[in-house]
Amino acid sequence: MAKNPVKRYAMVLDSRKCIDCKACIVACKAENDVPLGVFRNRINAEHGGAYPRLRASFDPEQCHHCDNPSCVRVCPTGASFQREDGIVQVREADCIGCKYCMIACPFDARFFNEETKVVDKCTFCSHRVDRGELPACVETCPSKVRTFGDLNDSGSALHALLESRRYRVLKPQTGNGPQLYYLL
Amino acid sequence: MDRRLFLQIVGAGGFAATSIACPKFFGKGRRAAEPPVPLGIPTTCELCPNKCSVLASVRKGRIHKLNPNPENPKSRNMLCARGNAAIQQVYDPDRLKQPLIRAGARGEGKWKPVSWDEAFDFAAKKLAETKAKHGPEGTLWSSTEGFQEVFFKNLGLAFGSPNILRHPSLCLASVNLAYSMTFGTVPSFDLQNAKYVIMAGANRFESIITPDTMDLIGGVMERKAKFVYLDPRFTVTASKADEWYPIKPGTDMAFILAMIHVIIREDRCDKAFLDQWTLGFDRLVEHVLPYTPEFAEAETGIPAREITRIAREFADAGHRAVFYAGRRSSWYQNDFQMRRAQAILNTIVGNWDREGGMVPNRKVAKGEFMFLPWDDPKAGRVDEVEKNFPLASAKDGVYLQTRENVLKGAPYPVKAWMIYKQDPLNAVPDQGKTLKMMEGMDFIGVVDIAMSDTAWYADVVFPESHYLERTDPIEVMPGIWPAAVLRQQVIKPIHDTLPMLDIAQGLARRLGLADYFDYTIDQWIEAEARELPVENGLEYMKKHGVVAFSEPKYGTTRNAAYRFVTKSGKIEIFSERLAEAGHDPLPVYASPAQPPSGKFRMILGRKATITHAALAGLPWLHEQVPENDLWINQDQATRLGIRTGDLVQVTSTAGTVRIKARATEEIRPDCVFMLHGFGKRSPWLKLVHNVGAADAVLLETAWDKVSGNAAMHETFVNVVKV
Ligand code: SF4
Ligand code: SF4
Ligand code: SF4
Repeated sequence: MAKNPVKRYAMVLDSRKCIDCKACIVACKAENDVPLGVFRNRINAEHGGAYPRLRASFDPEQCHHCDNPSCVRVCPTGASFQREDGIVQVREADCIGCKYCMIACPFDARFFNEETKVVDKCTFCSHRVDRGELPACVETCPSKVRTFGDLNDSGSALHALLESRRYRVLKPQTGNGPQLYYLL
Repeated sequence: MDRRLFLQIVGAGGFAATSIACPKFFGKGRRAAEPPVPLGIPTTCELCPNKCSVLASVRKGRIHKLNPNPENPKSRNMLCARGNAAIQQVYDPDRLKQPLIRAGARGEGKWKPVSWDEAFDFAAKKLAETKAKHGPEGTLWSSTEGFQEVFFKNLGLAFGSPNILRHPSLCLASVNLAYSMTFGTVPSFDLQNAKYVIMAGANRFESIITPDTMDLIGGVMERKAKFVYLDPRFTVTASKADEWYPIKPGTDMAFILAMIHVIIREDRCDKAFLDQWTLGFDRLVEHVLPYTPEFAEAETGIPAREITRIAREFADAGHRAVFYAGRRSSWYQNDFQMRRAQAILNTIVGNWDREGGMVPNRKVAKGEFMFLPWDDPKAGRVDEVEKNFPLASAKDGVYLQTRENVLKGAPYPVKAWMIYKQDPLNAVPDQGKTLKMMEGMDFIGVVDIAMSDTAWYADVVFPESHYLERTDPIEVMPGIWPAAVLRQQVIKPIHDTLPMLDIAQGLARRLGLADYFDYTIDQWIEAEARELPVENGLEYMKKHGVVAFSEPKYGTTRNAAYRFVTKSGKIEIFSERLAEAGHDPLPVYASPAQPPSGKFRMILGRKATITHAALAGLPWLHEQVPENDLWINQDQATRLGIRTGDLVQVTSTAGTVRIKARATEEIRPDCVFMLHGFGKRSPWLKLVHNVGAADAVLLETAWDKVSGNAAMHETFVNVVKV
């Protein structure tokens, strides 16, 4: 298992297996004390067709932990920053609540947390990841839609999926380099 | 028997060992190279019947997060939305915090907080009075399943009441009885290895999350099993199926019988299996002759050529084809016979006890605590099960028949009702009737963690400690991956609450029954742990929360010496016992009544965030589904001038509710649908009090003829814009 010393965290999503059960959302709320009414992650549901020819699809989404994050670029105080391992975060002490980053994010991944009075978003559960655990949403998902891991670890399950399956990212044209990979 | 255990290496190496033992489930879990972190106290979720293993992480004395415990193969290393939200039950500011005695009229909401002694004295006096006047049979003890249900039930039994009423006749009694009558046992379905799965109405991807959900989604999406789904509604499950048919409600049996017809006509049965293990196949051949695909097309609305093709594909998948039974099975008055038809269809392709088929459950051995036995009750049951439903379980009773008889006061009066962990006002069809039954009671006592609607109408409310605050008996979970699990205390009770055992003891002491409950929960689980197939059982359970078999075992009953637990010792396609009890020995189809013009059939269902009525009001779950609405087909809505969001009045012969409409393409034009769990009467359930509507208000009283199981899809309603 050749390992690059620098990690690059990412997530692969197999949306076909998503059953819109919301376990990921509730787990995130508990793990990260997310207030009621706002969310760090969501399921984008699409329903179509006419009876009896119908279809529905469910795509989980949260911060894409972009390679080239526009949110970080616009932040006037440096509160929004990117860790070495790719995780994009908000340093609460430095956030002045100007919400520029919320506008700059092409994925609508950020919200203002009225309890902490700073901008909030998915952290890839970095506190868990740093302890060697999986993000809460990944661990809890019943149908194992979500695979979290290190892109630079060629032995990871995430790597194996990206090598063997076709995938897409959302809004590649933004140049943000999103790191949520949706299997096709 | 395979004794290869799902053994964990104690402590640090645990997760690594797990991945080796069972890579199928845990391949994506924590990797061996990473240092394992103590994630919390192992215990067992209580929010649905699946009872997943969890690790409770506690921060400064407060439960912060519940995580899945990967050591239990049965819970597949996941925790659903409900499981995650259990924390909010503990810290709910409106939960029951101390015993309450009613101070005003029933349902008026005036409560006097009292000490446990006062509550016990009060209830014991009332129960003793009832006994003096009407005998012990004048009391009814109803409960829903739970690890401490045994103590509640035992209190009723020790008290001398024959009227112990458990939940199956509101749930899966018909399916259990149908499979037992056929195989002598209720098998599981090996969805992880099945190649062809048919489900009818069992909305397994949406309504409840169990291992079957995970196995099936993996099977369908990864291993390419074929999945055919029948449901009047386009559910999440329908959206994932290879084929979805909006079958006409109540006609599933016609579909199944036609499949059997095709498989027999085209000689696609597993002949060798049928010869060796079954009884009555020849009678079946004759019996299904009239049930052609064309006949089924006329009944179900599914084209005959599709039925024929599905039957062929099903038979070709052979022992890896399953017609899945489902869980909540109370639908129609022919429910038992429809499930029998399923069981027979499964039998003729020979999927019994094979990989990818129907597998008899295995169990993990467990010890028993020996308590002082009591005398059997002298009186018969008030529901007269032996007379009305001779094949049904007399231990569990029949809910609707009990209510009918109590309302009539026959064969004898029942005047006190003790209720554990159950909300009959919402769980039982026809809320009006249940209210009337409550009105007739001299005494009602409720044990619960929250002020349910039923508790709201009680005379005394005993607050039970939450599952995260107590230790329960060890529970054996039979299955293809059998497990024994421990629910152990994670935090001390934060309010003046008690576990059911202590409540039973408090009452028993005052009723002169103390000797029957002279033990502690620790003694009880110690005895149980003694026979677990693992050393230092109790210590092991406290550390791991679960002991389980990791490898399925197939074919144990496929040996010449095996006798099925049926009258003939064989799998009974034709059932003499049914004939003797006055029922059809082979499933006979009768066309169900259809809603008269202008009316709709009301159908029910669940979402996995709120499978049970008690959960709709937990904030994290409530914000996902803040209100229920009435699904009505778009064309019908247009015809009636109803638009999404309009308030409509829905009326059946049982009652009337007002609810917002949802005009949608995703339902048949002859049905309407609403979610369970809303429209609560109890103001203590703030988020759902008077929000949306309760299905129980509308549902009429109807039951399956053989099992007595409540038939929940037999109500026709009319809908008008308000
Ligand atoms: S998704 Fe939005 S918030 Fe997340 S890194 Fe990209 S731009 Fe920033
Ligand atoms: S990774 Fe953590 S913070 Fe991000 S959505 Fe999942 S649970 Fe929430
Ligand atoms: S937990 Fe998994 S299956 Fe459920 S909604 Fe989230 S991503 Fe989808």
